[in-house]
Amino acid sequence: MTEKRKNIVTVCLFAVAILGLSIGCWLKTPDAYSDSERRALQTFPELTWSTVMSGDFMTEFELYTQDQFPARDQFRTVKSICAFYAFSRLDNNDIFIKDGHISKLDYVQNDPMLDHAAERFDYIYNTYLSSSDADVYLSIVPDKNYFLNQNSIYLSLDYDRFVSDMRQRVDYMTYIDITDTLSIDDYYRTDSHWRQERLIDTARDLASAMGTELTAEYDVNTLDNPFYGVYSGQSALPLSPDQIRYLTNDTLDSCIVTSYDTGKPVPKPMYDMEKAHGKDPYEMFLCGSDALLTIENPNAASDKEIIIFRDSYASSLTPLLAEGYSKITLIDIRYVRSDMLGNLVDFSGHDVLFIYSSTILNNSLALK
Amino acid sequence: MLFCSIPFIYYFFPCTLLLYLIAPKQLKNSVLLLSSLVFYWWGEPRYVFLMLAAILLGYVFGLLIEKFKDRWQSKLFLILSVASSLGMLGYYKYADFFIQNFNAATGLSVPLLNIALPIGISFYTFQILSYTVDVYRGDVAAQKNPINLGAYIAMFPQLIAGPIVRYRDVEHQLTDRKLTIERTAIGIRRFIFGFAKKILIANSLGELCDIFGTSTDRSVMFCWLYAVSYALQVYFDFSGYSDMAIGLGKILGFEFMENFNYPYISASITEFWRRWHISLGSWFRDYVYIPLGGNRVSKLRWLRNIFIVWFLTGFWHGAAWNFIVWGLYFAVMLLIEKLWLLKYLQKSKVLNHLYVLFFVIISFVIFNASSMSDAVVCIGNMFGFGGVPFVSAQWLYYLRSYAVILIIAAIGATPLAAKAVSRLKETKSLGKWVNIAEPVVLLILLVVSTAYLVDGSFNPFLYFRF
Repeated sequence: MTEKRKNIVTVCLFAVAILGLSIGCWLKTPDAYSDSERRALQTFPELTWSTVMSGDFMTEFELYTQDQFPARDQFRTVKSICAFYAFSRLDNNDIFIKDGHISKLDYVQNDPMLDHAAERFDYIYNTYLSSSDADVYLSIVPDKNYFLNQNSIYLSLDYDRFVSDMRQRVDYMTYIDITDTLSIDDYYRTDSHWRQERLIDTARDLASAMGTELTAEYDVNTLDNPFYGVYSGQSALPLSPDQIRYLTNDTLDSCIVTSYDTGKPVPKPMYDMEKAHGKDPYEMFLCGSDALLTIENPNAASDKEIIIFRDSYASSLTPLLAEGYSKITLIDIRYVRSDMLGNLVDFSGHDVLFIYSSTILNNSLALK
Repeated sequence: MLFCSIPFIYYFFPCTLLLYLIAPKQLKNSVLLLSSLVFYWWGEPRYVFLMLAAILLGYVFGLLIEKFKDRWQSKLFLILSVASSLGMLGYYKYADFFIQNFNAATGLSVPLLNIALPIGISFYTFQILSYTVDVYRGDVAAQKNPINLGAYIAMFPQLIAGPIVRYRDVEHQLTDRKLTIERTAIGIRRFIFGFAKKILIANSLGELCDIFGTSTDRSVMFCWLYAVSYALQVYFDFSGYSDMAIGLGKILGFEFMENFNYPYISASITEFWRRWHISLGSWFRDYVYIPLGGNRVSKLRWLRNIFIVWFLTGFWHGAAWNFIVWGLYFAVMLLIEKLWLLKYLQKSKVLNHLYVLFFVIISFVIFNASSMSDAVVCIGNMFGFGGVPFVSAQWLYYLRSYAVILIIAAIGATPLAAKAVSRLKETKSLGKWVNIAEPVVLLILLVVSTAYLVDGSFNPFLYFRF
């Protein structure tokens, strides 16, 4: 190709690329939500004299153009492929792939966040529990990196220090270590959560430490739709999906699940098949993020009750505890204020378990 | 508005270019001025009137200086022009710095003005200064058409990050320039390479520097990794911006001066400054150093001249002590070279390059520090002071994660790749394939760099303090 021809081709290619994408930017209908990233996208900013003169319009418009760019997901994939394979980066936007698992770097222990979590737990303990003879337990669910990054170059929390520091902050709680019952295979490859069908031993150990023995066997059911976990979309790479499996037996079938999110009791399924086919299928377990939920087991061998303060990891674990308790009350203080709980829950004499993932404790600002 | 943003590349630029291409020749400068004002207004809506005022003052003073040529009034108007430009720069950029230091020295608490620095003020102020000084010297005629002068001062390709274009370099191009396919193609190539340098290399290394800044796991080696990364980041960022500016200039029919010429291959600090930010260095040479007498004065005055120029060079980069120290650091280095070291450096083939890289890397730690005490701590850590360990887990992880980018950046900072491509082009069998590959590579770089923008990656603007 001659220089002249090369110049003509260069100008034409550039014109087509810039003009084509430019027209695409102008004409594209804005999307409200990104399924792959599981977040709302920036909408066209408010155009007023004050937003323009303050520069807010321009700042938000730039975010709008990023979020609403034509073929955005494909461009994100291009970037991800370039970062991982051309530049050989170990992570892209903190998302990394190791041993077939996708995970997120979260290696800095955030002491003020641990303080905040402990301060919330202290409030609950002092307000509702300290005057009773309830046993109070704490268990920390290690994130995937605990297993994935051991003895590797990838960065992860110093879990020993993390657990020790958290235990020191809430030394009135009895700590239950569940790490020995877990391995990396107990987590979804594309998601941060653990797999219910692999948690039977964990549930047994946990219950045993609280004086309850579990022996039930379960049937394993498999969802027919693929599960692209939260990290799958964030990685923007074309990776194979996970499969969600959930456990059932006669005891679970007879349990009554009730949500109190609206202030009135609303019956709910143990496994929500509508959510199983929704944007985040993991939300099928106990219907996702309910603030206050009870599981009543009419066939329980004892009248023991337990109150569990929890995050989303407990959604898949708690059904496996149902066998040992007549009633389990699940409280998610990300969605209900701690000072309201006295009106909603009877704490008298029941054992209490605080079970939280290291991720939530290390980013605990949402705990109210 | 930044060049490396979606609003610029896919909204502003196509619209501006279409308008510019269809506008008749006599209206092209009007389109250029108007679009430049929109460009500036987008980033600094409050300060667009300040820039217009600066342009108007430059225009009026230029005419008055010429009108009273060879009379005392001409000098008076030059002084007024210089005073108004420097006054504006002093007020908006340096007022709080002076107040802070005054308060520290006297124990008083004069309230700070808390003025937001108008982006690009250091660049367009220096362009106006060079224009009125050149008119006074008789090097150029005063521009009679305010639109032409406005288009020169506000021209968006070089408005916010340089290069500092002299009026005399573009005087004729303002009224007589040609748009050709060849020049446009070269401009496109330059723009895309600059865009990729900024987005793919500089921003990636910037991420690493940012991680270091918030790290609690510092070690000697992590400090060195940061220092090397920042030195490469600032080069790829700044030269990337200059490439984009020069490329856009070519697309619009202008020829701007080169601003960087592989500074990291220099064999002395003296050579480094002939290759780094050339437009600023030559500006200070022509408008400060030589008027002060340059080196054709007594040794004492020559020393004074060098210290003044490098004090001002440092201070130009930001209103903080670390920038002043950074400038004076180079003054000391240059003096040592001129008085003693240069002759030894010329005999060396490897050590001289290592010497330059070592002292330049240290200089950029000072440059990027949030304060002088931070700079001292970081440099101390680099040499094992402060009780930091030699290595750390974070250093190992990020070294591995950024190794390929660092290697690409290190090679890209030399002319090796450009030389290899031009040698391939000269060969008969491969030359045509290089020509076929070039537009494809450019398209890939454009798409990949756009993908990095779309993903909302880290995209800092390093010159907000300039």
